[in-house]
Amino acid sequence: MSPAIDTVAFFDALSDEMNASTERLRIVGDADMTAVVVMHRPGGDLRVRLVFEGLICAGVAEVGAEEAGHADFALVGDLADWQGMFDDIVANGRATGLWTINSLALLGDRISCQGDDPMGLDKFSRFNQTLQEFFDGAARIAVAA
Amino acid sequence: MTVTDDADRPAYDELPSESPLGAPLDWAWLRGAKSEWGIHPKPSPRGLTMLDIAVGTYGDIPEHPPRRSMAPRGADVDDDVVDMGYILNSKTDVWAENTRELYEEAVARQWSATRDIPWGELQELPDDVEHAVCQLCTLLTEVEMIAADLPAKWMWRMNHDFIEAKMFLCTQIMDEARHAEVFRKRALANGGGLLLSRGGPTSLLRTIIEAKTYTQASALLHLLGEGFVLDIFRMGELIAPTDVEKRIFRMCMQDEARHVAYGTMHLRYAVENDPDVAEEIHAALDHGEQVLIDFGTAPDVSTALALLLAGGAEHVEDKGFPLALELTKKQFTSYLARCERAGISRLERTTVPLDLLGIDPEQVRGAAPVAQGAQS
Repeated sequence: MSPAIDTVAFFDALSDEMNASTERLRIVGDADMTAVVVMHRPGGDLRVRLVFEGLICAGVAEVGAEEAGHADFALVGDLADWQGMFDDIVANGRATGLWTINSLALLGDRISCQGDDPMGLDKFSRFNQTLQEFFDGAARIAVAA
Repeated sequence: MTVTDDADRPAYDELPSESPLGAPLDWAWLRGAKSEWGIHPKPSPRGLTMLDIAVGTYGDIPEHPPRRSMAPRGADVDDDVVDMGYILNSKTDVWAENTRELYEEAVARQWSATRDIPWGELQELPDDVEHAVCQLCTLLTEVEMIAADLPAKWMWRMNHDFIEAKMFLCTQIMDEARHAEVFRKRALANGGGLLLSRGGPTSLLRTIIEAKTYTQASALLHLLGEGFVLDIFRMGELIAPTDVEKRIFRMCMQDEARHVAYGTMHLRYAVENDPDVAEEIHAALDHGEQVLIDFGTAPDVSTALALLLAGGAEHVEDKGFPLALELTKKQFTSYLARCERAGISRLERTTVPLDLLGIDPEQVRGAAPVAQGAQS
């Protein structure tokens, strides 16, 4: 069984899965971005910084609010909505319908893409499919667990 | 700088001065030149990138190149090289701090409209939806190529010392060819076809192609036009009836965002280093915004988008148009924030009805702190 999604261990597992599948990532190509996933949950938010370099996720770390502000963008939502996204990925093998990260951020009512810099925010679009591949890895780690 | 005309090097005096056919030979390049020598760029983990080789004087981009020839920047150049008649001879004319990075990104993230779209998964769609998809694809096939024609119009006039900028624009041209290809293919692939092409889009396209300077053209194309198309591609998640169209929009979105990133940072570089150019950009955008509004509200464009957002003709009024209005608000908000980032605030000057669209200027200002400095 894979770790709970509101843990650094879960994102470490996604990172490991991505880094073991660089051939699959080669189709979408290199990416250079720093994203922060923010999960609102009872007892305090979880903020996980994800650093992408080339075809790999080069860093996963829990960060504070100030450090999170230095990322290119932050994806912010309630734990229940993140759970909904990952449940859809696990159920279908990849995100479908309005559960893709682009759909969620576009509508912005469940998970929003936030940042101070339009150039950082545009990286969400520039490297969107890399990010989606990263999240879609949840289906594979669930199967592997 | 280390140069190759080192006295300790072999003189190669024994080499022939004539070819076997009697033609004179010149071995000057072997005996030494003023070119930099002895540099060993280190490949990064992903290979040897343009950023890796931008070391020593090879990485220096001159503000005003001394020649107008096609001689490679950093070579030992004869005085009598041919003048190519370049007119964009200042770095501020074309440069952006993220040019090399964007070039590498573009090369690494190329995709194929033939191979990477799951064409075999196309499904028969309701008549109204297939027509709307085809109408939108007709429009996109038409407008995407302006982003190839425009750089092509200016590239041969750019000084060759700015080769990285020209290389990036080459990738943009390839991207746009692929976009025209993928939307044309989609229009034809599912039993539909190309539908109406009318005057509105042409007016926008002429405005872009006829811009008087490259920087004006970049403002109209990269910042305004492609910024809006980028948001349409992002909207693809909502307007695409199947995963095939979603895949098309997502892949195009990534490309388009690169072009916008170049334009935003080019304008920023231009304004920072040549403040006089700001008024030139504003003048282009004054006109461009009006033309874009005409384009966005053109009957064919707005109806096709609204129908797709509604999922069909039945809910165009109660769902399609309200969603379209929300997305228009997002488009203008993104555009105005990019203008702030580029250092050409439009908030006091734009004639876009911000109140009507529900756009808060303070929110736009807050989304783009100028103090962050250039980053890609």
